[in-house]
Amino acid sequence: MISMNNIVKKFGSQTVLSEVSFEVKQGEMFGLLGRSGAGKTTIINILTNQLKPDGGSHKIGVTSYETGLMLDEDGLYDRLSCLDNLQVFATIYGISDKNSKDALDKVGLGESANKAVSQLSKGMRQRLALARAILHNPKVLFLDEPTGGLDPNTAQGIHKLIQGLQKQGATIFLTTHNMDEAVKLCDRVLLLHKGKIVEQGVPTEICERHDAVKTVPDLEKVFIKMTGEGLS
Amino acid sequence: MKSVQAIFVKQSKDMIKNFSVLIMFVIFPLVAFVMTHFVARGNYDIPDTMFTTMMASIFSGMALIQAACGVIAEDREKKSIRFLVIAGVKPLAYLAGIGGVILIASLISSLAFGFIGGFARDEFIAFMLVMMSGAIASIILGATIGVYANNAQAASGLSLPFAVILGFAPMVAQFNERVESFVGFFYTQQINVVVNDFTAGLAHPLTVIWLNIAVLAVLFILAYAKKGLGS
Ligand SMILES: Nc1ncnc2c1ncn2[C@@H]1O[C@H](COP(=O)(O)OP(=O)(O)OP(=O)(O)O)[C@@H](O)[C@H]1O
Ligand SMILES: [Mg+2]
Repeated sequence: MISMNNIVKKFGSQTVLSEVSFEVKQGEMFGLLGRSGAGKTTIINILTNQLKPDGGSHKIGVTSYETGLMLDEDGLYDRLSCLDNLQVFATIYGISDKNSKDALDKVGLGESANKAVSQLSKGMRQRLALARAILHNPKVLFLDEPTGGLDPNTAQGIHKLIQGLQKQGATIFLTTHNMDEAVKLCDRVLLLHKGKIVEQGVPTEICERHDAVKTVPDLEKVFIKMTGEGLS
Repeated sequence: MKSVQAIFVKQSKDMIKNFSVLIMFVIFPLVAFVMTHFVARGNYDIPDTMFTTMMASIFSGMALIQAACGVIAEDREKKSIRFLVIAGVKPLAYLAGIGGVILIASLISSLAFGFIGGFARDEFIAFMLVMMSGAIASIILGATIGVYANNAQAASGLSLPFAVILGFAPMVAQFNERVESFVGFFYTQQINVVVNDFTAGLAHPLTVIWLNIAVLAVLFILAYAKKGLGS
């Protein structure tokens, strides 16, 4: 469904991605893990054609219309209400207004539909950004740190929501710093360090391979072993 | 077309809630009204239409350029344009939606200027034609700056000299002939030209304005080719 082949990306003299290759199958929840600056957002930007790579090839098996996106910056219209923000995109996609209300209900913002975005908390903004991403029932979802900076309860709600989307058949590509989140959610993960892939596979299998299973699979330990550095 | 409609609706809702932009469409007609009624009327040295044309050219040059450039720069800086582009909105559709709202807002302000100026029917139509052509020029110039500048703050800094020169030069020209001959190339000056002598016809002023638009359109294309709508 999604693939990258020997992707190289440079910003000036800095090589941000070197020879990154991977494949995400249809219906999979795929996690991209790495420290700040590892190149996670850059990978999403390349896959969604916002950035041109300097080498290699990449592909998504659906049209841009069939993808949903939550980026590190939410791009919401501050002065407009939650509902009006979604209506802009409902009109663009040519879907009914009911979709906007449904999406707000799904992320638990039904009661704040007429609130201006400028009055929302960070967690509410993030949920609204997620509502915009899923508004048109996309087949592929890119989520850049969907739970970054959220309290555990709100994060839990978002986890449930994206697991539900996966059950309905969506392919989900997410990035995170949070190893536990990755183990809990992802079918497969890719560990990225300084623009290079250091390990990839099924979380529990990777952990066994690196003798990092205690009572729970400890991806953090794999990461430290592979890179010599902790995650945060 | 759906995209243009979506952006148009978004921008209309946004503008009504955006006081700093909205005020520019109200303040210049308001000042023209006050000055015309309390200063020009009853003073034989001042033509009744002087403050109308003065404020109308400042409005056209300043308010419209800053409005167009401010909106685009803000949408770029807050990255909301990225989501539009990814959803398949074409740059031209985005600009048409934004430009359309500003054009309609300036139509309302221009009508107000027209009534304040107290023009007869044919004069009124001529005045509106010049104002609306000028508005197109200002919106293109504002969009050029909004696309070229790296962020909203840079955009407002960059637009200021253009706004001041295009907005105020026609006023200075009323008192100085050397300035007047130079300013004759500006689209904003054509408001004066038309109102000062309605019998001279619209051919010359409209030609000047549309030449301005042609030049500005080329500048816009250059800025767009260099920067695009992203950031
Ligand atoms: N537009 C840019 N110009 C120059 N360098 C950039 C640009 N965007 C990213 N970089 C650099 O590329 C590297 C990877 O950035 P990226 O945003 O992909 O990291 P990330 O893994 O998403 O980090 P985070 O977890 O903090 O979001 C960083 O060193 C960053 O400084
Ligand atoms: Mg990032």
